[in-house]
Amino acid sequence: MTKSEYSSNLLDLGYRYLIDTLPCYLSIQDSSLHILFANQTFRNDFGNGTGKLCHMVYKGSPDRCPSCPVQKTFKDKKVHISEETVQLYNGSMAQMIVHSAPIMDITGNVSAVVEMSTNITKVMEMQKELTLLGKTMAILSHDIKNILEGLQGGAYVVDEAIKDGDMKLARKGWDITKRNITEISTVVQNILYSSKKRALEYQKVAPDEIVREAVALFQDKAKNMDIALRAQANRALPLVNIDPYSIHRMLNNLIWNALQACKNDNEKGSHTVVVRADFYDRLHFMFEVEDNGIGMDEETRNNIFKEFFSTKGHGGTGLGLIVVEKIVQEHEGKIEVLTTPGKGSTFRVILKIN
Amino acid sequence: MEQGAKIIIIDDNTDYLFTMETFLKRNGFETLTAEDGKKAMELIQKERPDLILMDIMMEGLFSGFQLSKKLQSDPDLKNIPVIGISGIGPELGIQKDKHLLLRKYFDSDNFFEKPVDKNKLLAKMKEILEG
Repeated sequence: MTKSEYSSNLLDLGYRYLIDTLPCYLSIQDSSLHILFANQTFRNDFGNGTGKLCHMVYKGSPDRCPSCPVQKTFKDKKVHISEETVQLYNGSMAQMIVHSAPIMDITGNVSAVVEMSTNITKVMEMQKELTLLGKTMAILSHDIKNILEGLQGGAYVVDEAIKDGDMKLARKGWDITKRNITEISTVVQNILYSSKKRALEYQKVAPDEIVREAVALFQDKAKNMDIALRAQANRALPLVNIDPYSIHRMLNNLIWNALQACKNDNEKGSHTVVVRADFYDRLHFMFEVEDNGIGMDEETRNNIFKEFFSTKGHGGTGLGLIVVEKIVQEHEGKIEVLTTPGKGSTFRVILKIN
Repeated sequence: MEQGAKIIIIDDNTDYLFTMETFLKRNGFETLTAEDGKKAMELIQKERPDLILMDIMMEGLFSGFQLSKKLQSDPDLKNIPVIGISGIGPELGIQKDKHLLLRKYFDSDNFFEKPVDKNKLLAKMKEILEG
């Protein structure tokens, strides 16, 4: 049966309008996977595919999909389902659930296969968000447990100091308590960031200003921890298009982690954290946070973004990196981690200048 | 309980070391501290403590675990009782197996999760030292 015969048959039945407006992609294909008919929804998102090969139209690929349900239906006359990633006419990618069903002729042979694809990209995104939420909750409970340990410990020391009238001991206990209060505020800010759906608000900003502001915020803390914290920004960088609020959050998390990595290192006599902004290439610039702290082994390095990882009992670490990853993804950027155990780590975030 | 039993506390969080040391000293123990597995080993060999309180998650994931393995393989040190302490709870997906492994290794009786219930810890220490 030819393409025009199929079209006229469907038209004759008066279902054309209904088929065209179905909220899914419907096509009829022959055994060589040529598209004989495609509905309007299909044509809107994939162009006029009639006469073309299905895999060329959906994926731009000369090869058939390994799990092609249409071929299976031609073989066994049954309904088949598969999940495919396809590229829309406008270049964006989509996840599809694909159903295929046979169209039989009067002799009971499969003359064509009808394929119906539903765009499940949104569902997949929700699923990802739910997974992230679960991961976030687990990390959160761990972070909070550690902060509680610190708060209880600090309070205990203060109580004992009060009993003895020992002001020096009271000061030590109070410092521990305060450090943990700082940590819980970091955790809370990260929860707020990771739980809120917030559209990025792009602004033209100077990267060196962002770096200087972030470094200034941590200068006192670094001093207390006996760590030198420096900003090194290339002033030749042009204004860049970023969401300054998120990028601040990202740098804060990276700097806090770098300070912790230094604090956890007992081998070196002095510690330095350098925060940089510089060109990466013609179209990209980068932020870098470099520390000469404890560094990471390969297993740790491979897991920091994927799974929960604790570099130690201090709170904020795990969730902090998840937030960093989220911000980098939102900016369509890239993150690189260079690290040597015992030597230190550099987190490099590469972003588009415009 | 032995008066002034010698306890070595191993943890890479210096705040935690300080509070635990304060707590144990005020409960009549003699305390020594180490911030990593290597220093801890040296201290244990030199001081022969009556009990070790060990954080399991120092530096890399298993350094506390490795340290306790080393202790077990040393005939002079393997009888020193160890209480394992960890900030990791069973709720953490991938960590669950490791957590179970640790529990098994330390015997759930000698394993505490942070935040540590200090009274329970004290009772457990007394039980070990008197038993």
